[in-house]
Amino acid sequence: MPSQSSSFVPPPIVALATWIIPGSGYWLIGQRGRALTVGITIIILFILGMLIGGVRVVDVPNGVLSSPVNAVSQKPWFVGQILAGPITLIASSIGHDDAYFASHSRVNEIGTLYTAVAGMLNLLAIIDAAYRAGHNGGTA
Amino acid sequence: MKHLFYFLADEGYHYELFKKPLPVWKYWYLLLLPLCLAISIVYKAIRCESMRRVPREAIGLFVFIIVVMVAAAGALAALVNFLD
Repeated sequence: MPSQSSSFVPPPIVALATWIIPGSGYWLIGQRGRALTVGITIIILFILGMLIGGVRVVDVPNGVLSSPVNAVSQKPWFVGQILAGPITLIASSIGHDDAYFASHSRVNEIGTLYTAVAGMLNLLAIIDAAYRAGHNGGTA
Repeated sequence: MKHLFYFLADEGYHYELFKKPLPVWKYWYLLLLPLCLAISIVYKAIRCESMRRVPREAIGLFVFIIVVMVAAAGALAALVNFLD
């Protein structure tokens, strides 16, 4: 069964879709096998990070809108995490509840590493999906 | 689901899914395996033109990463022992 689409999708839309839902940009350009492989792997990696270190490994730095450079310099790993999409913001808002405990030491580092690597892999997917959309004229 | 991880925990630690960190502080090095596997899968899914080649190439890359990391760890351990 062919998994290709002939509809044109602009690369910025593909890039934005991939950021919102990892892998969805590939789906838009008709590469559904690649979309599922990339998307499911990235989401599982992000969730595994929160499973290992607790939801509070994802934390939006204070003042990220008012002074972004200062805020990000305090938590540079947030740059990687936010690339995984809105799931980062959702996890951060959930983690502010007092029921969630902050992890420390190596477990925290590994949870942070998992979530940040998931975001960095999603950046690769964003660039690749947008390139394929533009290079193939939006057709796979 | 949370009972699944009780065997990892020290006595007295009550793990709560997503609320508390997973009790894996004795086995943290094993967590490199799923991370390397995920990196291999996504990288090869992006690089390969045909998705049929992805499983085989991802496993190859996964093994390569693990072998290089073990070799690097061994070399660093030998260096530290030598300096001591």
